Amino acid sequence: MADTRPKSVIGTPTPLIDGVEKVRGSAKYTADLMPREALVGRILRSPYSHAELIAVDIDKALALPGVVAIVTGKDSPIPYGIIPIAQNEHPMAQDRLRYRGEPVAAVAAIDAATAEAALDLIELRVRELPACYDAMHSRAPDAAQLHENKPGNLEREVHNSFGDIDAGFKAADLVAEDVFHCAEVTHAHMEPHAALAEYDPERDTLLFHSVTQVPYYVHLMLAQCLDLDKSRIRVIKPFVGGGFGARTETLNFELICAILARKAGGTVRMVLSREETFLTHRGRPAADIKLKLGLTKAGKITAVKAEMTQIGGAYGGYGIVTILYAGALLNALYDIPAVQYDGYRVYTNTPPCGAMRGHGTVDMRHAFDTMLNRLARQLGLDPIAVRRANLIDAPGETPNGLKITSYGLPQNLDWVEAASNWKTRKGNMPKGHGLGIGCSHFVSGAAKPVQWTGQPDAVVNLKLDFDAGITILTGAADIGQGSSTIVAQVVAEVMGLDFSRLRVISNDSAITPRDMGSYSSRVTYMVGNATLQAAQKLKARLIAAAAKALETTPDNIECLGETYRVADSQDRGLPFEKVVQEALKDHGAITERGTFTVPKAFQGGKHRGGAVGSTMGFSYAAQVVEVSVDLETGGITVEKVWVSHDCGFAINPLAVEGQVQGAIWMGMGQAMMEETRFHEGLPLHANFLDYSFPTTLDSPDIAVHIVNSIDPNGPFGAKEASEGGLAGFLPALAEAVAEATGCAINDMPLSPDRVFAAIEKKRKADKKRAAKKVPV
Amino acid sequence: MSAPLEFTLLHPANLTEAVKQMQAHPNARLLAGGTDLVPNLRRGIGAPDTVIALGGIDTLNSITETASHVEIGAGVTLAGLLASNLPTRFPALQAAAEIASPSIRQAATIGGNLCLDTRCRFYNQSQWWRKANQFCLKLDGDTCHVAPKGKRCHATFSGDLAPALLVLGAEIRVENAQGGRWQPLAQLYNEDGLDHLTLAKGDLLVAVRFPTSETRRSGYLKSRVRRAGDFPLAGVAVALTRTGDKITDLRVAATGTNSAPLLFDDFADVIGQPLSDAALTQINKRIGQAIKPMRTTNQPGLYRRQMVAALSKRLISTLYEQGAN
Amino acid sequence: MTSRLTLTINNRTQQHLVADGTLLVDFLRDQMGLTGTKQGCDGGECGACTVLVDGKPRLSCVTLAHSVAGQSVETIESVAENGRLSRLQAMFHERLGTQCGFCTPGMIMAAEGLLRANPNPDQAQIKTALSGNLCRCTGYVKIIESVEAATNHG
Repeated sequence: MADTRPKSVIGTPTPLIDGVEKVRGSAKYTADLMPREALVGRILRSPYSHAELIAVDIDKALALPGVVAIVTGKDSPIPYGIIPIAQNEHPMAQDRLRYRGEPVAAVAAIDAATAEAALDLIELRVRELPACYDAMHSRAPDAAQLHENKPGNLEREVHNSFGDIDAGFKAADLVAEDVFHCAEVTHAHMEPHAALAEYDPERDTLLFHSVTQVPYYVHLMLAQCLDLDKSRIRVIKPFVGGGFGARTETLNFELICAILARKAGGTVRMVLSREETFLTHRGRPAADIKLKLGLTKAGKITAVKAEMTQIGGAYGGYGIVTILYAGALLNALYDIPAVQYDGYRVYTNTPPCGAMRGHGTVDMRHAFDTMLNRLARQLGLDPIAVRRANLIDAPGETPNGLKITSYGLPQNLDWVEAASNWKTRKGNMPKGHGLGIGCSHFVSGAAKPVQWTGQPDAVVNLKLDFDAGITILTGAADIGQGSSTIVAQVVAEVMGLDFSRLRVISNDSAITPRDMGSYSSRVTYMVGNATLQAAQKLKARLIAAAAKALETTPDNIECLGETYRVADSQDRGLPFEKVVQEALKDHGAITERGTFTVPKAFQGGKHRGGAVGSTMGFSYAAQVVEVSVDLETGGITVEKVWVSHDCGFAINPLAVEGQVQGAIWMGMGQAMMEETRFHEGLPLHANFLDYSFPTTLDSPDIAVHIVNSIDPNGPFGAKEASEGGLAGFLPALAEAVAEATGCAINDMPLSPDRVFAAIEKKRKADKKRAAKKVPV
Repeated sequence: MSAPLEFTLLHPANLTEAVKQMQAHPNARLLAGGTDLVPNLRRGIGAPDTVIALGGIDTLNSITETASHVEIGAGVTLAGLLASNLPTRFPALQAAAEIASPSIRQAATIGGNLCLDTRCRFYNQSQWWRKANQFCLKLDGDTCHVAPKGKRCHATFSGDLAPALLVLGAEIRVENAQGGRWQPLAQLYNEDGLDHLTLAKGDLLVAVRFPTSETRRSGYLKSRVRRAGDFPLAGVAVALTRTGDKITDLRVAATGTNSAPLLFDDFADVIGQPLSDAALTQINKRIGQAIKPMRTTNQPGLYRRQMVAALSKRLISTLYEQGAN
Repeated sequence: MTSRLTLTINNRTQQHLVADGTLLVDFLRDQMGLTGTKQGCDGGECGACTVLVDGKPRLSCVTLAHSVAGQSVETIESVAENGRLSRLQAMFHERLGTQCGFCTPGMIMAAEGLLRANPNPDQAQIKTALSGNLCRCTGYVKIIESVEAATNHG
């Protein structure tokens, strides 16, 4: 009897289950959905940074032939936002405009030309107010206040202290303090934003397609802002062209599209330009960081004191979470006995920031690891040795209540050290060349969702019917990261089947169970676990059916892939189809459900905001970056990156590699060139020339090593793979550039002009010093 | 945030027809590869009633060579130029390989790159953006946001080929209803971001040529943030002759710094001398006095100025070293 | 104004009435329903709209439909052979040259153009050929590997 089981599906490099559609060009993204009856929706955006909105006159626009509906703030009086306690944004502005690009009104018309013409006919009456674009101006005593309930333009202050800070610094042999600045960056997912809203006035129902990472949030916000019962809404996520956090929150254009469709009594298709996609933003805020770090002679960290100010833009959005993350994840990478954190989230008259890959942690990690590298040098210690002196004794708990269950950082360090030939090369690089190291970590799913419902974090349904095919129903949003492939692999592994019997339906609120969606790298961990449970239950059911048919007990049944038989017998057994038939007898189609809920113990410390940063499993990464720097132009070439990532267990090593490479590369973009810029609140970067990110010619080989630390609670031991590595790139690059140029640069990005300015400054200082040394 | 393009597209079959149509539609825009014009039109920069597509005029598409001149039709694509042997023989023309990206080089033409519209961070923006910024001197407004107190537009010329062709001593052929003329390439440009081309209404750039006997060593270097896709923050072309240990001829041209590409060929004090640090300083001083990189890009003007110096120094030194062989 | 346009799309010669100002990308997507070709930027900056015109890669978002009159346009929909993935497509699939997939059609068309002109490109040539095609997911590593695997020596 041949064993027809596929070789283990998990741990095997597996192409994406939806990859064929992508390479064939048949994958339908939201903008590819073009119902003939769809009206064209366009948004009128504020040309003002800050103004009292007195009136929006739409009469002339409405009179234009071909215009079907126009909506304004009056049609969207209900606020929305990702944090239930901090919703201070409306789909369209009410009585105040707070940034250039903020939606004010929207038009549905028979074609794009008409819609554009109508926008030109809408008149705004305003009284302009003073605007602020940076933290200093925003926090000045006489600054214009953006929100009435937020004096000083402070969205949130955080003050946390764990351990004995004073004793920590006293115990240090070397204490240093410095200031860092990281520019604002943004996701720049390749697919511009788009939405399709189909409203049925007869039934008062809404069918909605969008580019979202979290269809569930969109569903909730549509219900809230349209004051429409949730049961009247159906949200479908087609293929999505990347997200990186931008599409975690419900976005204004999604709500506007739906409001417009209802007013038009039909279907509205809204495809945003690249410029509008930039204006929608929700990127990583600019950050000013003050950092004080103490080390003993042996390199042991004794205390850290960090202050971060984030320039958050005009609305709250994710702000509270972002500012909390920056402090929380100072912990859980290295063993630090005392941590003080002061965070300030500030409002400015610029597009609102939000969550971006490595949410809240990246800029702080840059400052911390950069300083750690410098102090190591000052102490004459190897930066890798310093990290080894500060490893966490896992499993364990951090002073701020984060649990560490698996910890592959030591193995990460070993691998990058060997692969990069660090020991012989670091410190001995030729002029203009350098090596640097950085470490980082991230959560495998936020332990506590912002929307508290008491429901499980993840639910997966498996449907088995007469065709003996298994339909995996999941609300997890595959946005390119490969989550649908992961759930299929888990089912295939448990059932002993190959993909031919499986299909994944992801994200149709009418069909798939509610899921919290794709953010905070939660899907593999949480949805993976729910899938595992569902598959085990389904398998048990089939075994029971087979046992009944073979007149034996379930524990006596052996599964050989497509064959179920009495264990160790010479029977031909039952083919899978027959087992399914048996299982369906007297019952019909089977739906097995798996769920996953993060236990309370993992939900962080008791202090205010303590849930942010908490997770069941941290991923860990270490990387070495090699650069050469053109000392005459300041241009950096990243020659090679070696990264080791502890993802617990790589269910799909191919996808893990791809995710890690993508994360490292995105860190590289931020570290080398990415930067938003504004002229009095108008973006100077809202295209792919001015918001430059690396091309093929700027991008190095990224060698990935996977550490399987086997997390005790992850599915097959798996943890996250797509965010953890990003942050470490920044300090690794800064350290490599420091070796290549002799310049310590505290600001990001290390664009050629910044590097060149630092080189020039050093050259002049060296000259001056040399001149002084010459005896006259 | 832009409306679909609406205009009448004309397809002249030959030069005569093109020139006639240009006369009949004096406000028509010319379309060659479209890689500069179309992105601008999509942003509402210009809304012509008529566009004259030059793609059907075969005579614009050839490279010819005689004993005296190499002549490149204005319609030759950058990819076409790179596929010829010219960049190997006249290395400054490698500049074409530094422009944009391969797919754009398949469409973009020599003429288009020479006539590239000037660029500015206050100009290459959408209609919504420019309106919110009260427009600018270059289009629909009356203030230059780069230098609000000044009277002129500072938009920057960012073509990569112009400096290369300038140091090769190129001339251009201009046709109009009255006939045609050859003129030095340098005379194509005005130092005015608003009106940087000297072409009159009805003038059509049809070819560029340079002496076949051109024997100077030449090259082009470009400063930019990324290795593909970007316009030059600054670009420098150099052609020089070294005889023994002495520089006997030197031309330098810069782009990305002013509203016009600039040619420098008056280095009398350096000619006849060996290349030295002092000579390089002298050369860069001359260039430094003429270039004026303003805040037309997101990178600081100072850096672009420094890069002109760094790149010209590097390129002159390299070519001078090569000349020793 | 609307004029008659004769061209070949994916090996089928056809005539259509097309407004003069219509961009090739809009013609392909909106009029022909060939939505595999993507629009990722506001013109000429990302390469997602890359198609082949007479076998050479071109950006359909800065090309007027009428500019390719009489020429042969090939889109991602024509790359599969009898419904089966071409070798290049198969390599992008198997080696994870695609993640979110949005840049993929343009990326494959640019690579297809390269491989037709040069079936054995080295890594530097591949990187140059794809340098106008932006991707935000992969860091390009597996894209380059996919194209390398599709070369004759891959």
